[in-house]
Amino acid sequence: MSRDRGGRLPVRVAIGAASALVLAGTVYPLASVLAEAATPAALPRYARLTSASDLGILRNTLVLGFLVATAGTALGLLFAFVQTRLDVPGKRLLHWIALIPMVSPPFAVATATVVLYGRRGLITHGLFGLDYDIYGLDGLVLVLSLSFFPVAYLGLLGMMRALDPAMEEAAMNLGASRRRVFRTLILPLLAPGLAAPFLLLFVEAIADLANPLVLGGDYVVLASRAYLAVTGEYDTTSAAVYSLVLLVPAIGLYLAQRHWVGRKVRVTVTGRPAGRVHLVSGWARWPFYGLAVLVALVIVSLYGTVLAGSVTEVFGVDFTLTLDHLRVALGSEAIADTTVLAAVATPIAGLAGLVMAWLAVRHLRAGSGWLDFAGTLGIAVPGTVLGIGYVLAYRSDLEIGGVTVLPGLVGGGAVAGGSLAIVLAFVVRSVPAGLRTATGSLAQLHPSIEEASTGLGARPFQTFRRITLPLIRPALLTGLSYSFARCMTSMSTIVFLVTPDTKIITAQVLSAAGMGYYGVAFAYCTVLTVIVLASLAAIRKVVA
Amino acid sequence: MKRTLAIPIALTLASAACYGGGKDRITIACGAHEQWCATMTRRFTEQTGIEAGFVRLSSGEAMARIKAARGKPEFDAWHGGPADGYEAAKKEGLLEPYLSPAAARIKPEWRDPGGAWTGVYLGVLGFCNNPDVLAETGLEPVTSWRALLDERLRKNVGVAHPATSGTGYTVLWTQVALGGGSQDAGLDYLRRLHPNVLQFNKSGNAAAQQAGRGEVGVGIVFSHDCVAQQQQGYAKLRVTFPEEGTGYEIGGVAVIKGARNPQGARAYVDWALSAESQRLGPTVGFYALPTNAGVTPDSKAADLSKITLVDYDVPGAGQAKPGLVRRFEDEIMAAS
Amino acid sequence: MTGLLRLENLTKSFTWDAPPVVDDVSLEAAPGEFITLLGPSGCGKTTTLRIVAGFETATSGRVLLDGVPLDDVPAQRRSMAMVFQNYALFPHLSVFDNVAYGLRLRDRTRAELTEAVRIALTSMNLVGLEGRHPHELSGGQQQRVALARAMVVQPHVLLFDEPLSNLDAKLRGAMRAEIRRVQNLLGITSLYVTHDQDEAMAMSDRIVVLDRGRVEQIGTPAEIYLRPASVFVADFIGRANFLEVPASMTGGQAIVTVLGRRQIVAAHPLLTGDSTALLMIRPESVRVTPTAVEGNGSVLGVTFHGASVDYQVETAGGTLTCTVAGPHPGELLAEGTNVNVSFAADRAYALPRR
Repeated sequence: MSRDRGGRLPVRVAIGAASALVLAGTVYPLASVLAEAATPAALPRYARLTSASDLGILRNTLVLGFLVATAGTALGLLFAFVQTRLDVPGKRLLHWIALIPMVSPPFAVATATVVLYGRRGLITHGLFGLDYDIYGLDGLVLVLSLSFFPVAYLGLLGMMRALDPAMEEAAMNLGASRRRVFRTLILPLLAPGLAAPFLLLFVEAIADLANPLVLGGDYVVLASRAYLAVTGEYDTTSAAVYSLVLLVPAIGLYLAQRHWVGRKVRVTVTGRPAGRVHLVSGWARWPFYGLAVLVALVIVSLYGTVLAGSVTEVFGVDFTLTLDHLRVALGSEAIADTTVLAAVATPIAGLAGLVMAWLAVRHLRAGSGWLDFAGTLGIAVPGTVLGIGYVLAYRSDLEIGGVTVLPGLVGGGAVAGGSLAIVLAFVVRSVPAGLRTATGSLAQLHPSIEEASTGLGARPFQTFRRITLPLIRPALLTGLSYSFARCMTSMSTIVFLVTPDTKIITAQVLSAAGMGYYGVAFAYCTVLTVIVLASLAAIRKVVA
Repeated sequence: MKRTLAIPIALTLASAACYGGGKDRITIACGAHEQWCATMTRRFTEQTGIEAGFVRLSSGEAMARIKAARGKPEFDAWHGGPADGYEAAKKEGLLEPYLSPAAARIKPEWRDPGGAWTGVYLGVLGFCNNPDVLAETGLEPVTSWRALLDERLRKNVGVAHPATSGTGYTVLWTQVALGGGSQDAGLDYLRRLHPNVLQFNKSGNAAAQQAGRGEVGVGIVFSHDCVAQQQQGYAKLRVTFPEEGTGYEIGGVAVIKGARNPQGARAYVDWALSAESQRLGPTVGFYALPTNAGVTPDSKAADLSKITLVDYDVPGAGQAKPGLVRRFEDEIMAAS
Repeated sequence: MTGLLRLENLTKSFTWDAPPVVDDVSLEAAPGEFITLLGPSGCGKTTTLRIVAGFETATSGRVLLDGVPLDDVPAQRRSMAMVFQNYALFPHLSVFDNVAYGLRLRDRTRAELTEAVRIALTSMNLVGLEGRHPHELSGGQQQRVALARAMVVQPHVLLFDEPLSNLDAKLRGAMRAEIRRVQNLLGITSLYVTHDQDEAMAMSDRIVVLDRGRVEQIGTPAEIYLRPASVFVADFIGRANFLEVPASMTGGQAIVTVLGRRQIVAAHPLLTGDSTALLMIRPESVRVTPTAVEGNGSVLGVTFHGASVDYQVETAGGTLTCTVAGPHPGELLAEGTNVNVSFAADRAYALPRR
């Protein structure tokens, strides 16, 4: 159904811009890689996909994605529930703690996990005398769920706040217990909201590279396998084939989610919540609260280790205080480079995600799936492969008839020291989070509010700017914050794009950790975390 | 949105002027650690006046980037990282042969006869023991490959993944060498070692970390990584070498084919092979052995006179790597 | 005067294989006329309204305003304003800003804008609430803001989508009058959707009765009530007794035998020859008089409403409902009372059986 047929120019411009971004940032580089996967030489590679080993890797990937998505979404739900429905102390603090993992620099958290909860972990071994082997699926699920759950939490928090408490009152009035209200009312109403982070977490989990490498143990997944093919076998073809396989579950799940949510259109926000939230104040609140506090403590312990590690000689062995590590980190030009590039990429990514969501939810019935999907693609593609795609696609100057149309964008000697490609990579990697949160909150915004504006004479873009945008500002905020954090912490793609002129913090973390300079790695992560948290506060100020 | 797009465009235009790619500038793909790379390039610039920037990359990443650039590489030279990577690059035709005058001071077996690459440092595989952890299971520091297979070391050995780490691959090829060149024999050893391995780490020196923290009793690492950990604060670590003989890694340097500044790149190779540059390692905590005969190894570096080295076929190792690594993935990792 | 609205053969199917939700709807509203689309839920009235507003596209047919087809005119340029069932106030804007919203899109000077908003707020009794946000208002106040917001842009057509259904009965009555008053004052053509026939009767110049997407009847409230075009309309509008009676036509009227008497009654044009007709008698047209001897009916049930009283009366022809207005306490009939039932022939209407 087309909601309007005229005044479509801004819509067309938006579609054009979004398509251009997706084409340039994801599709073309990906196609450059896949072109390698489609050569006759690659054919035998496909035959091997049905081998037991590759099937095992595929199964591992799916299991990991499912577990992380489930655990992460459940954690998000738990924290949102505690925040909005429980009468307990310290909720403000819990909220901020839950946001910390948005800044999850590769290596640091995984390493902190090993230090605290590994075989000789200060907590597992030192405190409880356990000899627990954290390498493998369990460690991965723990770290990935903790790293990714904030986006689920923020999305669900917004939704639970927007739920009309009158409905809960109605249900309770009909004799439903609190538990029943939650199961039969809140959960189904949140379903679209649950599906979105589930999908996002699933895709992020199966595409994550750093953690499977640090913590994976014998647990090999497609993303790490593709990386190994590139780095160990110098075999981009295999990497491309693995990436192709990795796209299959991502696409499948995506379509399933669309189908499922699409059938149950639930519009809950009419802009007029009535009734009053009844906070749970009985004994039943304590188990939930206890669980949330436990998780919060784990988060604090991990980031505390990162912080402590950055100011002690060797955390766990030599606790002498030192500022040397921080001095090294702060002296690096990577700090400024990364921050500037992320600051450039973030508004673009946040806005792109929002515009795509708006187009998909409100304006394109038929094409919406494709646009939405294309936006999500940026995260579904393993970063390693995307990075190689960028090199393939944008390394050389594009010449038409001997005239340089587009100078090379990637690598040393490229324009702007290769920073354009980095910004582009930042954007496409962080669009999906904004896209998902914006889609979730747009789906909850009653169309009549926008129609009222249209009826009063506002063109689509005016309606978007004056009505839609202010109303989904919380989602925008989430999207921007998450985008910035993603930019600052993304690694796998960036490794292929850093140049002598543009140093990126995560690449520095990687090399410091690779060197065994864990103090420096921790220091980088601390600085990174501080910058991101400060920026989140700044974004709040600007947007609010 | 239009306005926000304008920012990166303006940025581009502004900085395009700065990075026009001057002639007296080279870019290095550096496969060793950050500080070593930084020191090397800085001192090079001081010596020659040629500006040098570097990007730290693992061998595979460097290969992928050089290969994907399709003859228009962003790098002029490649420095550090195991020679098997250089061998693979040579096979792909990515390197420009250059026989540096300084190469005369380097043993022939430590460089490519055609000058495609030249060795700049030597890393020897050793065992990084944590005597406390070993003592818990009643074991002494390990001194042989055979002893690593002891059942009491279950999940107590740290080693790197052959695909991601030069160290890991050197371990694998050392076993091939010890097995008389049989790849099956090499893989078989790792298959039997697998139950004792805590995890195949991404990076080579992670095993030294694990040993330092006590996560494992022994890590198989280049001995200089274990020394670096001792320097970092894990003083109790003890380095031993396998009595059957051990493998080693040659860190290479090479000029990249199609370099924008080949002259600068050659000057850099000369510098990297010079005695002066090879003395710099220990100052930044890098204790690999120098290849230049004119440099006396640091006292903390491995003493080659007390170690049995296997007959390590560098070109063979390089050529076999992709296939062997894939077999390792399929036959050992995925089968577990 | 502008505001001549024409709907020509509007048809809408959401999918190609589903029956149309709007089926060949045509009507014309004169400038300033208040027309109500009335029908049970799912009859297509809201969809028709949304097509007129431009939020939906008709599968076929067209909408014309002052003779100009609106096919290619997007919703925001149709010079229409809609009042929504859920009010659809902008929750992030104050009352003032909600009302001013449409004007701000029209490049008014600050003074003009303030004045227009002030007049609208005054006429809707909203003075003093300018700074509040929608969630700080009562339902009635929200509805008045929605109305003010729609009127202030001086649209040529006002569209109402069940605007009163979320209000309580008393407020609803007041708002009906309010809407009519303002609409009369401004003379804006109005299309009003409701499923509440009382509301439709009370407010409309003309009513369009819709059933399953089709127009059943268009007429003034009196025509619809007294001369329904179909049994559906007769049944849907108000309350009606239906008696199945043999009828023979003569001179456009029907001679029927009912309650033991032959009577001549007005008849539906489709009724011809000798046939069985459904005789519609409104409850208030039925008279009951108690009788000591056996009459033609007896009281089955009594419902006292205060202003009136309903009797369920059993007769040979079926059960009839009879409404007596202003009952006197002494005149109330008890259950089981024998009565004579009669009605004035000019109040009955013979319809063909469906």
